Amino acid sequence: MFKKILIANRGEIALRVIRTCRAMGIDTVAVYSEADRNSLHVQLADEAYYIGPPPSVQSYLNIENLIEAAKKANADAVHPGYGFLSEKVEFATALKEAGIKFIGPTPENIESMGDKLASRELMKAAGVPTVPGTEGSVSSVEEAEEAAKEIGYPVIIKASAGGGGKGIRVVTDPKELASSFRACQSEGKNYFKDDRVFIERFIQNPKHIEVQVFGDTHGNVVHLFERECSVQRRHQKLIEESPSISVPEEVRNKMGEVAVAAAKAINYEGAGTIEFIFDNNTKEFFFMEMNTRLQVEHPVTEMVTGYDLVAEQIRVAAGEPLSFKQEEIQQKGHAIELRICAEDPSTFAPAPGKIRICRHPQGPFIRCDSYAYPGYEVPIHYDPMITKLICWGATREECIDRIKRALAEFMLTGIKTNIVLHKNIIRHPAFIDGSYTTQFVDKEFTGKKHRELFMFIDENVFLIAGAIEAYKKQSSKDFSKLSLASRWKDSGRAQQLRG
Amino acid sequence: MHFEAKSNGVNYEINVREERKNWIVSIKPEQGEWERHVIPKEDYQVFDNAITFIYKQTSYLVDVLSKGINYEVYTRGSYRTLELFNDEMLLHESLKGRKGLGGGNTLGSGMPGKIVKVMVKEGDEVKEGDPILIMEAMKMENEMRASRDAKIKKIHVKPGDSVEGGATLVTYE
Repeated sequence: MFKKILIANRGEIALRVIRTCRAMGIDTVAVYSEADRNSLHVQLADEAYYIGPPPSVQSYLNIENLIEAAKKANADAVHPGYGFLSEKVEFATALKEAGIKFIGPTPENIESMGDKLASRELMKAAGVPTVPGTEGSVSSVEEAEEAAKEIGYPVIIKASAGGGGKGIRVVTDPKELASSFRACQSEGKNYFKDDRVFIERFIQNPKHIEVQVFGDTHGNVVHLFERECSVQRRHQKLIEESPSISVPEEVRNKMGEVAVAAAKAINYEGAGTIEFIFDNNTKEFFFMEMNTRLQVEHPVTEMVTGYDLVAEQIRVAAGEPLSFKQEEIQQKGHAIELRICAEDPSTFAPAPGKIRICRHPQGPFIRCDSYAYPGYEVPIHYDPMITKLICWGATREECIDRIKRALAEFMLTGIKTNIVLHKNIIRHPAFIDGSYTTQFVDKEFTGKKHRELFMFIDENVFLIAGAIEAYKKQSSKDFSKLSLASRWKDSGRAQQLRG
Repeated sequence: MHFEAKSNGVNYEINVREERKNWIVSIKPEQGEWERHVIPKEDYQVFDNAITFIYKQTSYLVDVLSKGINYEVYTRGSYRTLELFNDEMLLHESLKGRKGLGGGNTLGSGMPGKIVKVMVKEGDEVKEGDPILIMEAMKMENEMRASRDAKIKKIHVKPGDSVEGGATLVTYE
């Protein structure tokens, strides 16, 4: 087993990894940029090394500096976390050359899944379903009709160079295919000087569902069930849960099998995630991509399966076989994770700044992975996510109730956060009944007026407190009230007046 | 002391009076009646740089941050950005040479960041809501838009510039 691990990351994920290392008796090494001098991961690790100026390219993405720090610290392994260098072949290779173990998949694994088109072909060959569509362009109406029939309606016709709403048509009724096909072809020709046209299945109610997989160096591959991550804004996830309320049992099993087959096809080592686009009408699922790292949302899987995924990553990297077999893994109860970000809840504009008061939710079945603390200044250089709030319940209903309770306890002042948006989402009928799709936040919340979101606390609380503080501030500036004489004189004068 | 306030898109009039034992705060929303709140000082205390406020039998830990006439009030994981002012405060603000209400003559950076793109040039006429420039902060690009119809007088930044929070980016005519 490793003696010392360097964590090539920051924020909550650095804390997450440090915590498991501690529990395993492994020493931890933090690295930090100039902007993170006072960050929590630096305070919690056994050792800390400075790796460069605030911009990521000069620090957390600087392979040379990181390897130098690892060598200086005499670390025998590096955990990359997520983001930054976690899926960079160059980093995995550079570590290998330096004789330091990269806690993650092999460079070959990363490479084979790095290219979207190539990985799709690879998966297709392994029998993993991909969105049905034409292999090349379609040139005649007859050819288009034939293809659409095979793909299955509804279909989307796309001009090869199309974009901005031009050269794209959705066809539900086969009778409309011919006219839409011709329209796309001519739009492509007129607007983009390219009349090549493709046909693909149109997914009406798309959901983002992913399966956690794990492989070891002994050829074992298992899956740890699915996570649904359809609540997204700006194509970034906001809420994740496991299990997904929309996936029927037999589809769940099939997804797991397919995910294992996909990982086996590339001899996958370590933690990975197979992302699918899920058609909520037909319950079909299609491969999108594989993430060759630990995901932000891994805690929901930990909560329902009871396994520490970081500990498992470390053991697998050290050459041990997986500590669980497929038939032992169970999905118990329900878990939901909310990403709390320093951002405006309606425009999603980042809102860094200094945290004044910070009190995290506590109590039964709540897990709060956070690097926020009072007095900490959230830097402008990195991701706005500061906290992950994770809840477990025996049922989804119980889990949602606990999340509501936890959110009501969350106290964070000095910076804007999306806590209030989460309060709204978890009360929304489409979230409660599970019918939400990847367009949910865009459709229901984007651009919402603040007053439509902020409705959980009596307006008067804000107005009264604001007004009293404004009064105090202005009174203190009022020189007529500032008496240079003593309070005794004041009281004497008052007595005289009374007399 | 009389104030005008704006919160969540609603205008209010507020009167604050300090008594020995109570704060008397009267609030009137634009379309409503005066409502008088007697807040015992016992229920509104300064505590550890924040305020503990018991209102209608509920306790709130409140944090108030003020910058000129802008008051950020936080409690229970929520917040409001209030505009709170009276004539005296407005005078004070204008003496400091800051922008008044109703858009102002400048486009300022709300936070520190980097200028990615400038979409206008000096002398351009812009309409309210037109994109002026793109600023990157926290890995995200944010479009800064015109707060009113205006003519661009001066652009103080160029792509690649790093700016501090509160810096003036563009001056309108």
